[in-house]
Amino acid sequence: MAAFADFWATYSTLVYSVGIHALLALSLWLTLSCGLLSLANAAFMGIGAYTAALLTLNLHWPFPAALLGGAVAPAVVALIIGAPTLRLSGVYLAMATLAFGEVTRILILNLQITGGPEGLNGIPLLTTGWHIVVILAVAGYGLARIRRSRLGRAFEAIREDEVAARLMGINVESHKLAAFTLGAVLAGVAGALNAHFTFFISPREYGFENAVDILTMTILGGTTSLIGPVLGATILTLLPELMRFLHAYRLAVNGLILVVVVLFLPTGLWDARRFRQLLKNRRARKGGQP
Amino acid sequence: MNRVSKHFSLALAGLLAVTAVAGDLKIGVAEALTGGAAQYGVPIRNGFQLAADEINAKGGVNGNKLVLVIEDEQGKKEEAINVFKKLIFQDKVLMIFGPTLSNSMFAAGPVANAAKVVAFGTSNTANGITEVGPYVFRNSVMESDVLPVTVSTAVKHYKIKKVAVIYGNDDAFTKSGYDVFKKVLEDQKIPVTTTETYVKGDVDFKAQLTKIKATNPDAIICSGLAEEAANIIVQARGLGLKAPFIGGNGFNSPKMFEVSKTAGEGTFVGSPWANTNPNAANQHFVAAYKAKYGSDPNQFAAQAYDAMTIAAAALKTVKITGNLPADRQALQEALPKVSITGATGPFKFRQAAPKDGKPSGYDADQKPFIYVIRDGKFVLFTGK
Repeated sequence: MAAFADFWATYSTLVYSVGIHALLALSLWLTLSCGLLSLANAAFMGIGAYTAALLTLNLHWPFPAALLGGAVAPAVVALIIGAPTLRLSGVYLAMATLAFGEVTRILILNLQITGGPEGLNGIPLLTTGWHIVVILAVAGYGLARIRRSRLGRAFEAIREDEVAARLMGINVESHKLAAFTLGAVLAGVAGALNAHFTFFISPREYGFENAVDILTMTILGGTTSLIGPVLGATILTLLPELMRFLHAYRLAVNGLILVVVVLFLPTGLWDARRFRQLLKNRRARKGGQP
Repeated sequence: MNRVSKHFSLALAGLLAVTAVAGDLKIGVAEALTGGAAQYGVPIRNGFQLAADEINAKGGVNGNKLVLVIEDEQGKKEEAINVFKKLIFQDKVLMIFGPTLSNSMFAAGPVANAAKVVAFGTSNTANGITEVGPYVFRNSVMESDVLPVTVSTAVKHYKIKKVAVIYGNDDAFTKSGYDVFKKVLEDQKIPVTTTETYVKGDVDFKAQLTKIKATNPDAIICSGLAEEAANIIVQARGLGLKAPFIGGNGFNSPKMFEVSKTAGEGTFVGSPWANTNPNAANQHFVAAYKAKYGSDPNQFAAQAYDAMTIAAAALKTVKITGNLPADRQALQEALPKVSITGATGPFKFRQAAPKDGKPSGYDADQKPFIYVIRDGKFVLFTGK
């Protein structure tokens, strides 16, 4: 038991980070599932984090209420900016959402209430493991249900062929907006949870670098199922820590592993179809032997 | 335990007693050794290493060797928390030096404070760091202690009536420096002709400087890091701006002269340290650092070097019992009583004002030196 207590005392923040990154990867998976390549999720995370942190710091709201605030604020912003920008597609959408992310970062940087470049410090420690587990489970279950619902099928149809989906009678604009906004909600909640166990937030945590990190986790894990993003987030969070013994070389090895994965597994680590294929091959081979 | 192994362990203990009298003193070092903040973290690590090696060469602290457990925190807040927890709960260190950036200290400081382990920052200058709690220490001098002296000295020397201000507004360090400058100028009733801003990575400052030139200030106050500051000075001279500069802590780097050459003549800088400080401890430090690492030390290395000396002085008064929580607590109680003369001159701690009724940590109580740039060098300003 003592060994576990020591382990938990050392690595609880790391485990929390895995959960937060999994939520972020899932939020991007949702927007990708509708064929939207968005780089705005880091900004939504920031909006959620700042909203929740300001609510607990200045107004002393209870944590669940602050979390709700951290979910609603990015949703409202997503609805407002989503309407015009979601007319774009492909790289053009990526560029527009990237610009939105930069605007958000610079806005936070120059506002008085957000503490500018010095950020907000002294945020109370309110996030516990249970919060993250429950929210991650609810998000995972919800997304799994959405995937198999009319809404999820519509997302998939839009991703595969927008024109065909439109001809089928799917309202493409409102479906895209729904995916974008739900993604923003997930990212905002992740940001709010993160702010309440790291004591401190500053604008540079929600910039371009973070947006790319989220994208990397999702793509590395694979976007064909919900397990992929969670797996990608887990690996990318744990890998640098596991390789701490390599000291100066660990970031280089980290990068090398990513390159190898992308080269040899272009659909991501978790691809249900590939696994089925492997199983079938093995069975066929077994059956073929005398 | 049977007799044979008892004899054996006694013999072993006797053998150990020859090599090391008691246990080693484990000290954690959490600094940014990779990433953007590594330019500060690496000299800091070198400063610690140099000081620890020198102390160990002289027989350690009360016969105990200092053992540094060095970890990279990458200048990121999550990493800083992870490293702090690893050092506290896995490596079981007595105290931790670091992290490099103020932001990381805001995130990791509460972790150390809750675990009742000293977190000793050597490069964190932001306001409010030590409000985290009584286990947070720093020997880095806050801008609010340095800049009033810099400004008043420069104002007296140049008979300044009005100043222009330029600062980087997207960086925590330069922005907080600006906030202090602003307050100092208000306190000393010096009118500001114009306030201009830039962002990190800018290379062309002519638009801002042209505006400043039009307001004809007696001096230009600049809160920026050395790279940008050097460019600003060179471009100001190019535009025919002759007014002297007054700089913040960011000016205090050899990088200033790589770009600005002699354009920075007459610039006033306040700093807790400069390599030309003639005090004996500093002369020894500068020579020893150069001999070991083959490069000139900077302010961050000097402060790290002094911090290790401070910690060793505190450890000297602590009786190590082997009971980790008690030893950590004893160290926390011993540190505030230390006063030394190191590479940065005479040093002692000062408890920060309590916040919300909770006790605060300890800031540096140190008098800054005022330097003026002459012939492409920092020269201690003596009033002439």
